Amino acid sequence: MTLAFVGGTHRTVPLDLRERLAFSAEQATEALQRFRRLFPGREGVLLSTCNRVEFYTAGEKESQPPPTKQLVSFLAECRGIDVGLLESVLVEECDEAVVRHLFSVASGLDSMVLGEPQIVAQVKQAWAIAQESQTSGPLIGEMFQAALRTAKRVTSQTTIGRERLSIPSVAVADFARGVFERFDDKRVLIIGAGKMAAETLRYLRGAGARDIVVLNRTIGRAGQLAARLGARPGSFENLEAELTAADLVVSTTGASAPIVPLELFKKSERQRAGRPLVVLDLAVPRDFDPQIAERPGVWLYSIDDLSAACAANRKSRQSELPAAFAIIEEETQRFMGDLLHRTTVPVIEQLRAGWTETGVAELDRLFRRLPHLDGVAQAEIRQAFERYAAKILHPPLVSLRSASHSGSPHGLLDALKRLFDLKE
Amino acid sequence: MIEFVSRISVVCFVASYAVALACEASRLIFRSGVRGAAMVAFAAAGLCAHTLFLVWRAANESSIPLSSAFDWYLLASWLLAGGYLWLTISNPRTPVGLFMLPVVLGLIGAAQVSSREPFPQSPATQIWGAIHGSFYLAACVAVAIGAIAGLMWLIQAGRLARKQAPLRGFRMPSLEKLAHIQSRTPSIAAWTSSAGFVSGIVLNAVYRQRELLETVPWTDPVVLRIAALVVWLVAAAMVSGVVSRRPDAARTNAWLSLVSFVVLTASIVWGLFGVTQHGAPPAPTAVHSEAAP
Repeated sequence: MTLAFVGGTHRTVPLDLRERLAFSAEQATEALQRFRRLFPGREGVLLSTCNRVEFYTAGEKESQPPPTKQLVSFLAECRGIDVGLLESVLVEECDEAVVRHLFSVASGLDSMVLGEPQIVAQVKQAWAIAQESQTSGPLIGEMFQAALRTAKRVTSQTTIGRERLSIPSVAVADFARGVFERFDDKRVLIIGAGKMAAETLRYLRGAGARDIVVLNRTIGRAGQLAARLGARPGSFENLEAELTAADLVVSTTGASAPIVPLELFKKSERQRAGRPLVVLDLAVPRDFDPQIAERPGVWLYSIDDLSAACAANRKSRQSELPAAFAIIEEETQRFMGDLLHRTTVPVIEQLRAGWTETGVAELDRLFRRLPHLDGVAQAEIRQAFERYAAKILHPPLVSLRSASHSGSPHGLLDALKRLFDLKE
Repeated sequence: MIEFVSRISVVCFVASYAVALACEASRLIFRSGVRGAAMVAFAAAGLCAHTLFLVWRAANESSIPLSSAFDWYLLASWLLAGGYLWLTISNPRTPVGLFMLPVVLGLIGAAQVSSREPFPQSPATQIWGAIHGSFYLAACVAVAIGAIAGLMWLIQAGRLARKQAPLRGFRMPSLEKLAHIQSRTPSIAAWTSSAGFVSGIVLNAVYRQRELLETVPWTDPVVLRIAALVVWLVAAAMVSGVVSRRPDAARTNAWLSLVSFVVLTASIVWGLFGVTQHGAPPAPTAVHSEAAP
């Protein structure tokens, strides 16, 4: 085994457990440093997004990746979760399946919203953290480079990424746009200053929103986000007044209880003069009391509501999936071929060196016995020897390369070693 | 060219609109790259034939628009067909034809079963007749547009309430845009229908004053049904105004627009098959210089 992976996604891990299992960038760095101490010489990348937590490891020969059971225990210890809970929901893969999975993930084919672009940046970030933590080596590096290359190919050669949709963009394009014709005359209220809020804000600005207020319990974070994206920060104490003024609310806080209960909403509702309100409650747990959806003129969408839109999106793109998966398969086979070919390199080098050494020795002997040969003649004979050696070696090397691309070349390697008495 | 134009019949543009409607309906079944162009081509061909047909009638049969019930319906359908073509070109992803073209075809159908006899005209009543017909035409078009916007609003609101993603190639206009249209149509319909009714009263009064035989009795079924329609449209506009600042104003307007359309349709059907003296030619025994062409 050279490559291993354990992980869970929105399809296998319940939301509450996914929340506990999720790693922030700092937590991922700490976990990777711990991994380096526990499993020296092994490579590892931790990919943690709102929909998945996956750990990729690699190693060769004496530093093979740790068994997947150990990886599950490692993740459980890092997040303080019972191993038994994780064992039942995490998926384990090794070697070729790992490559195929990573390529699918990076291309957005495994995402909740098929073809979403954010995952490429998240994969890049996860790899960067591994590089900083010095757990990314040549194997992982090549695999992640190939994954990003594959994602680019899928995007450019299929239409799956033509209308790339993430959860915020589905919320804005399919639901908010269904209610509002334009956003440049609307007041947008963003509650929470996390990544999802920033992402949603980008989409809203792209859709034309200009009047944007960011509320956050930590006023500093609200100010930072607002400054970065051309919005203005507001005070959380003014929530009711801001709700009254807003046409569109995007809520993405990490609060453990609804921050807008029904009673609070009713107060602001009276002063709204019948204006419709779109609420994109992208927080888990929800920030808005679900009963608010029953109020006239209110269009409230939670993150679960978007799953239907995601399913429809996936369905409409089903026709592109075979082409995308064909690219994934082709790139996986190419990567595995290159990976296996790496194992043949030392044997090939030994074989070449042996032939060259023998050839040089024979030529020296020949030139000593034929001292009348001038430099030009000697050079011609040398070239003839080299061409002969190259031609003799060409068929076995082609067979070796071909065997490495179609599977493990160990049989041929063993045969070559035995035939030509090559050492490990 | 003249011979070509003279051969254009109602069937020509009905067939074009029907093909455009079939293209619109096919959005629900499959995706196509050429459908948009085909829809525009058929709708444009239909509108072109429709226009030439009306022009030919005006030039050669002295049937200027609004001069008979037949021409009145054809002009109403021509206005809606023009609106459909403009909307399809400006919003190619919106299936507006699925809602507008049936109304266009329905009006052409009404034209086919309505009288082609010109309304009685005299120099004294011609202007009032044109005003009366124009206002009533504007009211009917406004009611139809309001009903189309109302129906689309209800469908879009239903989709949004069920949290469903829009169908590919079947993107409805936003609720805001539809609400904007249907918030204006009740008052437009109320004002124009009232003006049409008042101008009809004036027209009738002129007939009475000049003792013309085209006078329509105040108890004529047409007078009663149009009065009922005007009362409804005015009431609908008032209700629309009252609820305008309520959160459910758009939904109320949508239902009001649909009911207005049902009332209008009932009024038209009643007019098509009922017995009336409205728009009837003068009795042959009548000798009045003013009624003579």
